[in-house]
Amino acid sequence: MMKYLFGCICSLLLLLPSGLGAQGSDEKRPPVTRTFFLNNAYVVQSPGKVIDLGSVLIRDGLIQAVGKDLKAPADAKVMKADSMYIYAGFIDGLSNLGVPKPKEDDRSNRGRGQREYNPSYERAGIQTERSVVDMLSPEDKALSEMRAIGFTAAHVVPRGGMLPGQGAVILLGGDDAGKMIVSEGSSLFAQFQGASGVYPNTDMAIMSKFRELYTQARQHKTHSESYAKNARGMSRPAQNDVLAAFGESIDGQRAIFFAVDGIKEMHRALTLSKELGFPLALAEVTMGQKAIAPLKASGASIFLTLDLPKAKAEAKKGEKEETDEEKMMLEKQRAAAQQLHEEQAAMLSKSGLAFGFSTLNAKAKDIRPNLERMIKAGLTEDQALAALTTTPAQMLGLSDIMGTVEKGKIANLVVTDQPYFAKGANIRYVFVDGMPSEYEVKKKKKKKPGDPDAKVMAAGEWNLEIDVPMEQMATPTLTITDEDGSLSGKLVSGMGTNDISNMSLEGDNLTFSYTTEGGGQTVTVSFDLTIDGDSLEGSMSAGSFGSFDVEGSREPKK
Amino acid sequence: MYKHSLMLFLLLAVSALSAQVEKGSIHIKNGTVLTVTNGILENADVVIEDGIITRIGKNLKTPSGAKTVDATGQFVMPGIIDAHSHIALDAVNEATHPITAEVRTGDVLDPLDVGIYRALAGGVTATHAMHGSANAIGGQCETIKLRYGTFNPNDLKMEGAPRTIKFALGENPMRVHGEGGGLMSRTRMGIEHVFRRGFSEAQQYLAAQEAYNKNKASDPSAVPPMYDRRLEALGDILKGDIIIHCHSYRADEILMLMNVCKDFGIKRLVFQHVNEGFKVAPELAEFGAGASVFADWWAYKFEVYYSTAYNAAILTKNGVVTSINSDSGDYIRHLFHQAGKTQRYGKLTDNEALRLITLNPAIQLGIDDRVGSLEKGKDGDVAIFNAHPLSVYAIPQMTIVDGIVRFDIKEDGNDQRLAPDPEKVDMMMLNYDEDHRCMEGTGEALFHNH
Repeated sequence: MMKYLFGCICSLLLLLPSGLGAQGSDEKRPPVTRTFFLNNAYVVQSPGKVIDLGSVLIRDGLIQAVGKDLKAPADAKVMKADSMYIYAGFIDGLSNLGVPKPKEDDRSNRGRGQREYNPSYERAGIQTERSVVDMLSPEDKALSEMRAIGFTAAHVVPRGGMLPGQGAVILLGGDDAGKMIVSEGSSLFAQFQGASGVYPNTDMAIMSKFRELYTQARQHKTHSESYAKNARGMSRPAQNDVLAAFGESIDGQRAIFFAVDGIKEMHRALTLSKELGFPLALAEVTMGQKAIAPLKASGASIFLTLDLPKAKAEAKKGEKEETDEEKMMLEKQRAAAQQLHEEQAAMLSKSGLAFGFSTLNAKAKDIRPNLERMIKAGLTEDQALAALTTTPAQMLGLSDIMGTVEKGKIANLVVTDQPYFAKGANIRYVFVDGMPSEYEVKKKKKKKPGDPDAKVMAAGEWNLEIDVPMEQMATPTLTITDEDGSLSGKLVSGMGTNDISNMSLEGDNLTFSYTTEGGGQTVTVSFDLTIDGDSLEGSMSAGSFGSFDVEGSREPKK
Repeated sequence: MYKHSLMLFLLLAVSALSAQVEKGSIHIKNGTVLTVTNGILENADVVIEDGIITRIGKNLKTPSGAKTVDATGQFVMPGIIDAHSHIALDAVNEATHPITAEVRTGDVLDPLDVGIYRALAGGVTATHAMHGSANAIGGQCETIKLRYGTFNPNDLKMEGAPRTIKFALGENPMRVHGEGGGLMSRTRMGIEHVFRRGFSEAQQYLAAQEAYNKNKASDPSAVPPMYDRRLEALGDILKGDIIIHCHSYRADEILMLMNVCKDFGIKRLVFQHVNEGFKVAPELAEFGAGASVFADWWAYKFEVYYSTAYNAAILTKNGVVTSINSDSGDYIRHLFHQAGKTQRYGKLTDNEALRLITLNPAIQLGIDDRVGSLEKGKDGDVAIFNAHPLSVYAIPQMTIVDGIVRFDIKEDGNDQRLAPDPEKVDMMMLNYDEDHRCMEGTGEALFHNH
């Protein structure tokens, strides 16, 4: 029995981030309902188009209705959304989300010893025939990290050399790769990533190899088509999947996505597209404001990087101010260079260029602060929202199914307690494909500084309130017994009883922990509490699931 | 609607193109004008309109809208041209094959390299941005104009300049591919073989193309040979569309390459470094090959122990079109000093010495109809000095490219970088690029080899 209960606690803890899935055991069960109703919210249907006190009804993965005065159907789970903000889920223009890094191979030894003059396509990083859908892993942690900041869909690409393969648009949720995929083969992915030790090693050779491959692909296509029409008397075209993969781009049907590192690589990609005539998309763009005319002329889809140079830390108090004139001048130059990155989005907007964002080189935790920096540098919130929703949807050819909060679109939504770009705004729900993930607001409590000399009594029965999104664990009872200064106790919750042997009290600071097993994982739940008379407060942490605020009061002695 | 968007597209495309190269109008007044091709004009003016020299003479009128520059007491000369440089490049060697004729340094230009500004500060207006010397047949090079300030690599290209390619003889390609790579070539014989085999394959490729072109009209089943950029480039050399610039030291291998070229009908050939060029000067002159040399630098490795500071003068006196190059982000600022050395070693005249860094490199790059001297109709590329440029006291004052002032000593800031690191303050002088880049990308860059 005890063991079973431990298991329960653990699997519930495991479910914390995604909240409302299966309940209580390892067995997977279908969700209770796939109908959700969000009421009384500001529904930002698209940038600048808001319904005050509106509702959104989600059914079977789609947005079924949006508007005022909607009623919750009987089968709907009503989600609290009073005065919250509902946005279309964000779309990432290019990343490796869900594509785990391949294990280290013998690459480190490459490039030494005897040279290889005619490397295979694979060795040269030319793998256009591969598709990212064969590499997807729904368990990739990056998916949930990006979901937690509002991203619900992404154009993902394989990892590799200059032509790693074909990209796909996926949803950032769901537990099997097949269901995540929205569109396959939506792009050919290219980057200026040389092969180590063999041709093409430098950007010079990548440029040349790209031209050669593309021209050969055209030739191969023409040859194959004529051969299919009339084979007699014609030499047979060799099967070549690498060249064949260019076909749709040659027909103008499939964009070649270049992830560019800096403005020079961007110009190189523009040069190739101009010379060869394929539809181009540029991702990870920086300093685009220095290339407005060529960008406009290219007609390329543009995705700006959400990675920004690290902002310089504010000078600490008491730190000596720089007085060396040369260093001050250099600092001014550095700050100007940083500004060039921060104001890119605003400048492009001003010039009338449409753009989305890509996150190939951005860390999830930096993305909201970086958006804030771009907004501070002149990007409007509506422009930022368009770059996260409507524009990428349009550039990826997905406007019919995502990008706005409208009837019939995939129910990808972000729900926040304040406008998304407001300081301190919290994400409360993210819907992907109509299924919610729920996020609790972390109340930031000032922990009173522990007083090592304080004399407090720990023994007794404490009623705790834990700010954890599980009813069973929210109001446990903690019983502490004191036997000649040696503390022990038990924690009784809706999930069972945990005995605690390693309690320690130093001054007014009470700490203890216990471990629980289940779901194949050991979780250490630890408490760090400060006792003040008959009340206590502090935090509970449960390993990687996070930390939760705790308050409590002592049950009066009967 | 479609038509409209097409029009819009064309308009945008045109404006993008015309925005590419900025040109200006300048009236340089009352200087001592060293024309190189037409003697010295005292108290003369040079008028540049929309990037082109339109008039040279006394008391000229200032065209409307033109900037005026008072050059009283100053020396006005054609912008200096460096026929061997690796500044403004993101990559120098594609050292993965003995023949990389298809790659182009023009694809990896770096307009943000502060070396461009430093070269301008030495009166240089154009450089030959060369591939390195790791491979027997290296990549194609780009002749660039130092249009400092642009963020677009394509803006640096000297539009219309002939194509050139880097070849290399001797120790570098032998070491990279023979000793280092265990393949072709370990000896100078092997290097010759790389050339001959490459050209022979290109001949076969051209023949196959020609056969296809002949047959395709009558035979619908004809299939063209598979496109091969390496053989295309070698074929273009055979056709005379690309000038060979060959890294070389020893007289025997210089003769060898001239023999190879004769056998394959190749006429456009310039030798770089060519430290033993003085030994075969008459042969070079007879072939019509150019020579681009250091003023007085040798003995930095075994194959280059035998040389002389008289090299440029001997070559010049033998009728070889000779230039003095820098091959360095540092020497490039002192090319006028380098040229002056030929007066100490070889007693060249002022004009002969100036030609070594102006008209002669222009001839070697095939751009002498555009730059290299101050003449009506040529590009407005000008360097202004406070003293005669061959004087050791000369300091460049202003450098003009296409009628645009790209360097002005009066406006010279302490930090001229276009793209400083946004994350940290770096003491820029620590990054000072005086290393030579000939062998960059080969794992040997540390050894300073040429």
